[in-house]
Amino acid sequence: MNIILVLIPLSLILLVAAVWAFFWSVNHAQFDDLETPALMPLSEDPLPPQNAEDPP
Amino acid sequence: MSERCFHCAEPIEDGVRLLARIGVQDCAVCCIGCQAAAEWINGLGLHDYYRLRDTPAITATALQNYAAWDRPQLQRLYVRHGANGVDEICVLVEGLRCSACSWLIERALRDVQGVTDVAVNAAAKRLTLNWRPDTIALSAILLRLARLGYVPHPLDATALDAVARNEQRLALKRLLVAGLGMMQSMMYAIALYAGAFEGMNPETRDFFRWLGLLVTTPVILYAGVPFFAGAWREWRARTLGMNTPVAAAVALVYVASVIETIAHGANVYFDSASMFIFLLLGARYIEMHARFRAADVADALARLQPALAQRRLESGALEMVGVHELNANDVVVVDAGAAIPADGILLSTRCSVDESLLTGEADPRLHLLGDALIAGSVARSGPIELRVQQIGAETVLSSIVRLVTRAQQQRPHWAHIGDRFATVFVSAVLGLTLVTAAVWLIVDPSRAFAAALAVLVVSCPCAFALSVPAALTRAMALLARSGVLVLKPDALEKLVRADHFVFDKTGTLTSRQLELTCVIPFGRLTINECLDIAAQLECGNAHPFALAIRNAPTWTVTNRATKLQQLAGLGVEGEIDGKTFRLGRSGFAAGLCGSDPDLLEDGVLLADRVGPLARFVFREQLRDDAAAVIASLHGEGITTEIVSGDATAQVENVAARIAVDSYRSRMSPSEKLDRLRTLRGEGRIVAMVGDGVNDAPVLAGADVAIALGDGALLAQSSADIVLASNRLGALVDARILAKSTLRILRQNLIWAFVYNLGTIPLAALGFVPPWLAAIGMSTSSLFVVINAMRIGPPARKSRGEIPIVAKPRELVTT
Repeated sequence: MNIILVLIPLSLILLVAAVWAFFWSVNHAQFDDLETPALMPLSEDPLPPQNAEDPP
Repeated sequence: MSERCFHCAEPIEDGVRLLARIGVQDCAVCCIGCQAAAEWINGLGLHDYYRLRDTPAITATALQNYAAWDRPQLQRLYVRHGANGVDEICVLVEGLRCSACSWLIERALRDVQGVTDVAVNAAAKRLTLNWRPDTIALSAILLRLARLGYVPHPLDATALDAVARNEQRLALKRLLVAGLGMMQSMMYAIALYAGAFEGMNPETRDFFRWLGLLVTTPVILYAGVPFFAGAWREWRARTLGMNTPVAAAVALVYVASVIETIAHGANVYFDSASMFIFLLLGARYIEMHARFRAADVADALARLQPALAQRRLESGALEMVGVHELNANDVVVVDAGAAIPADGILLSTRCSVDESLLTGEADPRLHLLGDALIAGSVARSGPIELRVQQIGAETVLSSIVRLVTRAQQQRPHWAHIGDRFATVFVSAVLGLTLVTAAVWLIVDPSRAFAAALAVLVVSCPCAFALSVPAALTRAMALLARSGVLVLKPDALEKLVRADHFVFDKTGTLTSRQLELTCVIPFGRLTINECLDIAAQLECGNAHPFALAIRNAPTWTVTNRATKLQQLAGLGVEGEIDGKTFRLGRSGFAAGLCGSDPDLLEDGVLLADRVGPLARFVFREQLRDDAAAVIASLHGEGITTEIVSGDATAQVENVAARIAVDSYRSRMSPSEKLDRLRTLRGEGRIVAMVGDGVNDAPVLAGADVAIALGDGALLAQSSADIVLASNRLGALVDARILAKSTLRILRQNLIWAFVYNLGTIPLAALGFVPPWLAAIGMSTSSLFVVINAMRIGPPARKSRGEIPIVAKPRELVTT
């Protein structure tokens, strides 16, 4: 049973780290828009801009 | 007719041969604007947009001049000056419809020199732009945006936005803290339960209890704050809401557990406290999310009133200014198709104005010199000049907004009844707990605390408190997915109980387009020849009559009409093969040949110099599913009624076509409101379906108000339910779902009631050890939540596809 004396503090440290990471990401606008990023993986990587010309 | 524009999906008119090169193939487009936009998008290497989007782009229109955006007077209002010489602006983007749009905008603007950051929120239709004003002018960036086909509008709501965003972020953090805390404390609780059966030495048991205390404390003190703050507010206002019992139960369970932990008592309930908070926070979070999404839509009210105006200077020159800079007696010039910036007096001789947002009437109304024009309405012909009378908060539009707000405040709040019931229940339980404790203190003091705690825990209002929100949030989430936004939770119940549906006509049962019902020739030419001439005369005209004629199935000839002249409010004149024709109001058209002007009053007349050729009769186009929705309501024994501000003949026609029970025409908003009041006085539960700003106060007066998404966005803010999918059939789906929701809700309440009735006496008599009470409480809550998940998605069978090509119609001759 002594193993829990190691594992439980370890899990608590991980818990604190997870909460800190989540707070950081919420504060950095990672959760403000949950719809747009869902489409990002579907697009191919952008090609290097080929002499983009403005329309007339 | 059959081919559609690759860029905007509008039908390509015959004779138009425009191709845009996308990737390796040529795609047909409808106009030069769309061609330019499509080729430019392709040139930027962004043609993936066409694959990713789920709604077609808006038709590219003539580019506006954005120089006014560089004016310091305008920038002072909308632009935030950040550090390092970087400015920030938040604009509402018209035409931003799906995630692919935001992808396109981000890609296209990010590479612009001087732009430091681009953030697009598709759900809120907003673009936040950071740029260096010393490198690039704001107008240049916006022009680039406009070339993609998106129209930017300045948004003064950034401050408001930040408040909403912070609220959402805080709620998310609290939810996560509660969730993680709940998981951890449950793990320790399981160890404790196992220990209770298998045997556990007291040191280990106390160790787990202290761990439970450690992880639950942040849940109570951080995540639980909204409940305690709410209870404090209710206490100070001397009202009893749902927060009071929740806060009381959580605080008692937590404090009791802390005492037990310190005193090495029989049991702790940290897991119950944190689970309770997590589940309630989850329900609140989903509800808040739905509310903000709806508010985003209503926020587009900003678009009704334009932010810019063209002011005529004394020298006669025009200057572009912000609307807030206008003063009374300024002269403003409004181009055709633009919105009127302020209430004022028309200085031009005549002008047709689309006031459908305010009156609900589909036809533009003709105004003459000296008439009053209303801010937010759209000039159909122009340019016109008007003298400003009122701006901002004094305009008619603003006063309608105030009317809506007042009507909203008069609404009864049925939700309080449920809260009050729970409050009574909780006070009864608290009383019972005290009685149990008192009686046990007399009989056997050593068991008093355990028994009292068991009563409190076993009857913890979880099942009661959760049964309603769990079912409602599930239903609301499902409905939101199918485009039905429920803004007020008690609207679902009203939707089911409503026994009388009142419909507005224009924009609700009918779309805003007209359709040609018959052509009556006067003998000299055939129907098809008349149609051909009419179609050529109306080429390039955006009036509903013109669109209806052009959509008629027989138009195949290319455009040969010359000397086309459009006379606002009268009709159109032009020459085909040297012969002059007129098409329009009968007086105007018959004037060409000098025949009797009051020949006909209905539809429009085609005439040449010899005499009248044919009469065209139109009718409003019904929404595809209007008749089906009415039939389905009748099938459930619900009565229906049309209440419209339109003329009797038009209302009668629509009423007959979809078979509603009764109709009333020429009703002003206050008469509509009176009608609703009468119906409610008769004991009917009235549902009102409508759109348009003029409907907004009326909507607020019904038991349940339903607004359709494409109408005036203002109407949505006073609606209980918004059909954002713009599909009337969604109403039937929503009713089916609301019904099953109510059934589940009833089951949940009965379950909670039976459970409490059965267990409280046992607990009070001391038969239930507190750990069993905690398991019972968790199970009852779980049952309620799982039962709520049984609410299924709405049936899809009534979802009718909108036909892409208009069906050919028989043209009737009389």
